[in-house]
Amino acid sequence: MTATKKLNLKQKYQYLTRDMDWEPSYQKKSDIFPQEDFEGIKIVDWDGWEDPFRLTMDAYWKYQAEKEKKLYAIFDAFAQNNGHQNISDGRYVNSLKLFLSGVSPLEYAAFQGYAKVGRQFSGAGARVACQMQAIDELRHSQTQQHAMSHYNKHFNGLHDAPLMHDRVWFLSVPKSFFDDARSAGPFEFLTAISFSFEYVLTNLLFVPFMSGAAYNGDMATVTFGFSAQSDEARHMTLGLEIIKFLLEQHEDNVPIVQKWIDKWFWRGFRLLSLVSMMMDYMLPNKVMSWQEAWEVYYEQSGGALFKDLERYGIRPPKYQDVANAAKEHISHQLWSTFYQYGQATNFHTWIPKKEELDWLAEKYPNSFDKYYRPRFEHWDALQKKGERFYNPTLPQLCQVCQVPVLFTETDDPTAFSHRDTVYKEERYHFCSEACCEIFDNEPEKYIQAWLPVHQIYQGNCGGPDLPSVLSDYYHFNLGEDNLDFSGSPDEKRWNEIKGIKPLDKDDVA
Amino acid sequence: MTYTVTVEPTGEQIEVEEGQTILQAALRQGVWLPFACGHGTCATCKITVLDGDVDVGEASSFALMDSERDDGKVLACCATVESDVTIEADIDVDDDFEGLPVEDFTATVSKIVDLSPTIKGIHLSLDRAMSFQAGQYINLNVPGCDGARAFSIANPPSKGHEVELHVRHVIGGSATGYIHEQLKVGETLPLSGPYGQFFVRSSQPGNLIFIAGGSGLSSPQSMILDLLEKGDERQITLFQGARNQEELYNADLFTSLAEKHSNLSYIPALNDAEDDADWKGFKGFVHQAANTHFDNRFANHKAYLCGPPPMIDAAITALMQGRLFEKDIFMEKFITAADGADGQRSALFKKI
Repeated sequence: MTATKKLNLKQKYQYLTRDMDWEPSYQKKSDIFPQEDFEGIKIVDWDGWEDPFRLTMDAYWKYQAEKEKKLYAIFDAFAQNNGHQNISDGRYVNSLKLFLSGVSPLEYAAFQGYAKVGRQFSGAGARVACQMQAIDELRHSQTQQHAMSHYNKHFNGLHDAPLMHDRVWFLSVPKSFFDDARSAGPFEFLTAISFSFEYVLTNLLFVPFMSGAAYNGDMATVTFGFSAQSDEARHMTLGLEIIKFLLEQHEDNVPIVQKWIDKWFWRGFRLLSLVSMMMDYMLPNKVMSWQEAWEVYYEQSGGALFKDLERYGIRPPKYQDVANAAKEHISHQLWSTFYQYGQATNFHTWIPKKEELDWLAEKYPNSFDKYYRPRFEHWDALQKKGERFYNPTLPQLCQVCQVPVLFTETDDPTAFSHRDTVYKEERYHFCSEACCEIFDNEPEKYIQAWLPVHQIYQGNCGGPDLPSVLSDYYHFNLGEDNLDFSGSPDEKRWNEIKGIKPLDKDDVA
Repeated sequence: MTYTVTVEPTGEQIEVEEGQTILQAALRQGVWLPFACGHGTCATCKITVLDGDVDVGEASSFALMDSERDDGKVLACCATVESDVTIEADIDVDDDFEGLPVEDFTATVSKIVDLSPTIKGIHLSLDRAMSFQAGQYINLNVPGCDGARAFSIANPPSKGHEVELHVRHVIGGSATGYIHEQLKVGETLPLSGPYGQFFVRSSQPGNLIFIAGGSGLSSPQSMILDLLEKGDERQITLFQGARNQEELYNADLFTSLAEKHSNLSYIPALNDAEDDADWKGFKGFVHQAANTHFDNRFANHKAYLCGPPPMIDAAITALMQGRLFEKDIFMEKFITAADGADGQRSALFKKI
């Protein structure tokens, strides 16, 4: 190293990473890093790794300590001032229930995932980057839970999010997504989480939730968002670095990476359908429609990215066109499903109000009035007659993404998209061509999937009936956490806070 | 009011106007600084102020901590300056950058040559010799035009008392219009230089590929003449693209150089010569000529590109698909602040 007046950031970071690494003398490298080869990825020279964030540990602790001091001061002020009373509408809290049970545990899963792969690379730069991100993810999981814990004192359904994440039927969608990534090899994990999720799709998760919080007066969650943003920029940089590194190291990596991009784009798209529903139906004050978000954050930003990646011989994700075409439909189809299964959710569901139906019609001129509004109006009429519809039959889940088979064919929004395949004399069912293909590539992995509906029917989730599964195995307080928002204790409490008299039945919706 | 900001560790200097952020000014003047969000929330562009007065602007209190503010950190995307300032940024020092000082010169037109129907060679003699690195450019003040215009130097640094420029007549362009239509031998013009980060990285091993299009031959010409004068022994391959034989200029110069120097290959390519029975050379675009010559394998080379943006873009794609990547590709390029905000560009590449 040439002598300069003082070390610059790059040199400091080099000391922290590579120059503290050593060549093993009495153990074989392949024994120390046994997972580095089996995926078929070829690394010619780890020195080609460009450190995505040059942050030393002492600086990290200093920054994060000050950041969190600020953050927790705002949480305290929020709690002392009864910040929950300033949100736009009591229904808003249901987005937080979804976030706390669906997303915050993913941050924890990401922590575990990065801590694990951070052990698996023989390149020290990549090891340190993963360890740093692991700590970020752990902090995010904790700060999210603290940001939302105040709501647990005033609203139902927030009391046992980690257990629900492990057990509840639809929460197996996010859970299995991360389990799939964490049980893959280290390079696939980084392609899945750092690149596909943190870089390509992150704006479709983070922006809707954090802007949603801002639009709906939830200052605690907004402040968490700001505090996390400077970390997210680092994570996105790691996502770009890993993909460039893999593609530049060896041309044999290109087809492997392409297959991972195809897979993880689709897995992420299916996972984000939960966000689509949150944006279009669960936020009382809307930020933008799912379709608009998809166009800005995927079609435009992703389009520019994949145009640049073409230079590496990478093409856009295989099922991108199916995802683009689905932007007019998925939120409506998913909310319809959750509405029907509102007896089995840890949050409330409802028929959108008249002005919300009009907003949806305006945002989705090609699809909403034609396919979805009549359905909501029909259910609304039933509800007004005192016959709120709940579907008593458990849904068929996709073997890969674990979303019920509820989405439709690209060319026909009235026909369910359903595929199946036979493997070792068993028939497996899928929501789409893409999920079926993911299964066909690795059948031995996906036949082990823990599908909640199958598990309930096999008696592995308590019982014998559905209410006992919900209360004993899922820890739902029946009649408080689940069912329609209308008539719920949450609604009653919100009306008391706001001094609103209960509406007559006829005025509901 | 304009202040000078010195960027350490490279020592590059930029002029920052009142109210302009350091990042805007740097990117507009071709000095790359790390950045991402552009509005003070992600902290990617954090820099240290070593000397001078800086206003931190609208930096988020989560992106720029109080303790960091006390330590003189600012975010380049929000910070404005209130005096001449020295900053330190997280950028790499280029070992081959000599950091030669920019000076003002008076130039007298000594010769005007018709290189092609659209390109003139302008030879200027300077009031004193200029030190520059082959590949760098000067800013020329042309009568009747606001602001200076950048032109690459085509002569090698060994002839520092003169400056040779290749100027294409841009239709409707006032400066190139003046140069083509009114400029006379004996006229004097002010110019300043040298500028730019386009020069041969001599410390980096690997054979050299030059891809030039149109009047973009100027920098490669200077670089190749310099390399040959210095007796560089690496293999040098020059691809020159033009529409037709008339537009292909200085071909004789490089043909004879290639005959004299066994390490130089010269491959001209004409993209509008389908019907030219006379033309025995490559027919097609210049990046296609490179593909054919190297059989789509460019690994272990260093590539230097100079030409119009579509040519640069096609050449980068060809090189990358032939396994030559960003760190081995150099070009003269101005990055504007719009590059960061423009949705049409991803953050995948830093400088290409």
